[in-house]
Amino acid sequence: MSSPDRSSAKRTAAGAKPVKTASVQTASVKATSIKAAPKASRKPSMTNEPSPQEKADFVKAMSKGIQPNTEAARKVDAKKRAAPEKSGEAETVKILRKIPAPQAVVSTAESDEALRVAAMIESALAAGDLNCLQPHAQQALIGALCRLYAANAEAGNRFPVVSGRTAVTATDVMVMCGALLKAVDLQVFELGMWQSWSNN
Amino acid sequence: MAEQFVGKSSEFKDGERQIIQIGKREIGVFRHEGEFYAYSNICLHQGGPACEGLTIANVEERLRPDKTSMGLFFSDKDMNFVCPWHGYEYDMKTGEHISDRSQKLRKYQVLTKGDDVYVVA
Repeated sequence: MSSPDRSSAKRTAAGAKPVKTASVQTASVKATSIKAAPKASRKPSMTNEPSPQEKADFVKAMSKGIQPNTEAARKVDAKKRAAPEKSGEAETVKILRKIPAPQAVVSTAESDEALRVAAMIESALAAGDLNCLQPHAQQALIGALCRLYAANAEAGNRFPVVSGRTAVTATDVMVMCGALLKAVDLQVFELGMWQSWSNN
Repeated sequence: MAEQFVGKSSEFKDGERQIIQIGKREIGVFRHEGEFYAYSNICLHQGGPACEGLTIANVEERLRPDKTSMGLFFSDKDMNFVCPWHGYEYDMKTGEHISDRSQKLRKYQVLTKGDDVYVVA
């Protein structure tokens, strides 16, 4: 059942060097030529052939595997430390999710003007100037903004009423909401009813 | 540590994020003001997806010369990202927890070679 390659290998291991009779030969022809060659032509191996005892030791060591605290174990550890990624499977990069950037702000001339007014109010507040806008101007601004925001919400264009970059406090909100409700003669109870009925 | 290709710089818009997996590690790669930052996507608090929440400007208190408060404002230059589970907030540039700087997410080096972006992991 042994293949020509195997028989050739066995003979080589036993010390019989195959004689090359032609540059291109099939394995079976090589095997035949070895059989046919006279014993005298088989030269003893000049390489450092291990002794039978060494071979047996080698086979035993192979079957045992690498023992701890040996030179072989130290070499394997050193290799693992040098290239930890290569010891396992090659790592691949997998993109799990892409999170887009927040939507860019679209600027218009009117919006820029409103931002300038807002910045002016903020800086005046920071300086402690509460009269930067007279009451009638504040009423006009608050009323117009209230109507604009409500119209947008009714049209389905909903967005947070104040942006992330604001210093509005909870107290500010309660004062303003209370004043707005009072201005149109509403109670908090009515606001709650309307919110629950309209799912707002 | 090997350089792992994560994408093209031209396809990575400013403000965008990618959550990538390299081996068993999950990493969030940010592009903020043209710079790339990469951190472990495991929150120090309870292991939530630290890099997948809001990005929000740092809140700072501004003081007058006499040290009285002008109120709390959002910073113009410092950006944080927030774990969506319980709100642990980390500095975008360092990965440090903003209220306890001794705690920080594992940071990965990001290299750009031409148009290619690599994470060293």
